[in-house]
Amino acid sequence: MMRVLGYLAKRLVFVIPQLLGIVLVSFLLVKSIPGDPAVLMLGPTATPDAVASLRESLGLEQPLYIQFFIYVKNILHGDLGTSWQTTRPVLEDLVQRFPATLELVTLSLLLAVVVGVTLGVFAAKQPNGWVARLADLYGLSAGALPDFWFALVLIFVFYTLLGWAPAPLGRIDMIVIPPEPITGAYTIDALLAGDLDAFGSALAHLVLPVLALGLLNAGPILKMTQATVEKMLDSDFSRYEVLCGVPHNLVVRHALRNALPSIVTIISVLYGYLIGGAVLVEIVFSWGGAGQYAVQGVLNSDIYPVLGFVLFSAIFSLMVYIVVDLIYVLLDPRISN
Amino acid sequence: MLAIVSLCARIAVIRPRFAVGYLIVAIVAILAILAPLIAPYSPTEADSTNFLQSPGGSHLFGTDNVGMDIFSRAIYAPRIDLTIAILGTVLSALLGGSIGALVGYYSSGRGIRVWVSFAVMRAADVLQAFPVFVFAIALVASLGQSIQTVVLAIAFVNAPIYLRLMRSQVLSLRSMRYVEASTVNGLSDFQTITRHVIPNAMAPVLAQLSINVGWGILLTAALSFIGAGVRAPTPEWGSMIAMGFQNVVTGQWWPSMFPGAMLAITVFGFSLVGASIEVLADPAKRRQLLNDARQRPAGRAAAASKRQSLEQV
Repeated sequence: MMRVLGYLAKRLVFVIPQLLGIVLVSFLLVKSIPGDPAVLMLGPTATPDAVASLRESLGLEQPLYIQFFIYVKNILHGDLGTSWQTTRPVLEDLVQRFPATLELVTLSLLLAVVVGVTLGVFAAKQPNGWVARLADLYGLSAGALPDFWFALVLIFVFYTLLGWAPAPLGRIDMIVIPPEPITGAYTIDALLAGDLDAFGSALAHLVLPVLALGLLNAGPILKMTQATVEKMLDSDFSRYEVLCGVPHNLVVRHALRNALPSIVTIISVLYGYLIGGAVLVEIVFSWGGAGQYAVQGVLNSDIYPVLGFVLFSAIFSLMVYIVVDLIYVLLDPRISN
Repeated sequence: MLAIVSLCARIAVIRPRFAVGYLIVAIVAILAILAPLIAPYSPTEADSTNFLQSPGGSHLFGTDNVGMDIFSRAIYAPRIDLTIAILGTVLSALLGGSIGALVGYYSSGRGIRVWVSFAVMRAADVLQAFPVFVFAIALVASLGQSIQTVVLAIAFVNAPIYLRLMRSQVLSLRSMRYVEASTVNGLSDFQTITRHVIPNAMAPVLAQLSINVGWGILLTAALSFIGAGVRAPTPEWGSMIAMGFQNVVTGQWWPSMFPGAMLAITVFGFSLVGASIEVLADPAKRRQLLNDARQRPAGRAAAASKRQSLEQV
């Protein structure tokens, strides 16, 4: 246990320079925007007085490195700036919207893992069988389909033609009252409140976006599972098991167990990617998540929401990587020893 | 010459998917080049009396909500999409690849160069920690919306991939005897890198290039879909899908479905070409493929022609 804690501490030390780098790049992005950041921050309706006082508090008259210190100081105090569109602090907006994105992305990732690992294992069992060919084709075509278009196809088939899915307008039916926010994820909050109507509605709204994201992002997991399990089945310990007469299914299970570290790696990379990668699907379904908020910001030159989102998702990716490093310790006894 | 053609034909028979990939890319390229000759209508002129006409008749793919011919627009679109994607990808390979070659070549030395290459790699880490798509739109937002900016965004987002790829290639090549020999023979570092290291490290880079052109098309379309890329009257797949978005929900599927399908097929084609380059560039895999091509299909074709002649009798 102490060893794991020590490992974690060492890992956290490496996070600090990375975080600083992320903050620096986002700062440079703001600086490279033409025009007065104070005007950008206050929006087109700002009075000259308000602009002048904001310039003062942002330290825009100071040299660049002092501006950077002020920027870092503000972030450390939880001040990510204000969105002139919502006229609210960006941090508040993001805290409200991030769970929506997280709920969508987490469920999509679960679907991708189930599809990818299952197909991958079956494909690895017979490298030249029909499942392997199907998996190959699936991987190639899933990578080629634009997710926003695939989502649109799903809407056309399941909403417009068949009428099975609810209208692609948000996370819950208009007439259903959203549950009291506790975690921010509607399905969990509805269950905690014991509101089955709200739960059903939230779940129904999740189906199509989760299908779109989950099915299209299963490709990398599938490829990684297939490749590593195949390699494990081809290695000495598997051959030995086969020679000893261990049942085939058990041999495959042991191969999968040994392939887990690389599969976990690809899943973690995908998790970080999806936080930003879900943006387009969010827009198609009017999801109201953090990604959509950021895109609105970009399109209306409301830059602070964009920076806030970039920071949030970069930090989220870093956190996922740390958790994954801990999972390695659990999965691979060679590391913890 | 004839031998090469027949070998290609045999490879196409045993790996039909490779042939499909090259075919798709060729067709899209031809459509883009000949678009002014093929397109029945102007890609940007609207016929407002004829909006949302369903496919068939005088409009093969129908018309969109302002009355522009979807078929004409869909075959003009690769001109923009392919140009942006290819320029962006080539730029990212040049940028990432050259830095990667230098970093790989100098990272095992001593002194300041090691520190610089360490710093470059950490900078790449930081760049890759950003969400790709949001980073791209933030770039477009801060540099101003134009075709050049989309090209730059693609180049910037993909450069770390080539940086890593080239670096790992060069790292393994660096200790090769022929590289040492060229240094011993008095070539400067620059000459050694450009004449002996880079040519031998190119194979995986080429495979990645083709795959990345596909991604570049996807990114261009995605940026245009949200309105941060190519603007509306210019024919571009992503903005066409966006224009038809509301119509799909109410049942007029054609304004979005045709451009989306063409987009998906094109990206699919580029992925297949990338997969084929990956095989052809790897000496071991290439040998196996060529052996297969020389033996099996010949037998199969002979058997087929034998069967045919028997049937004729």
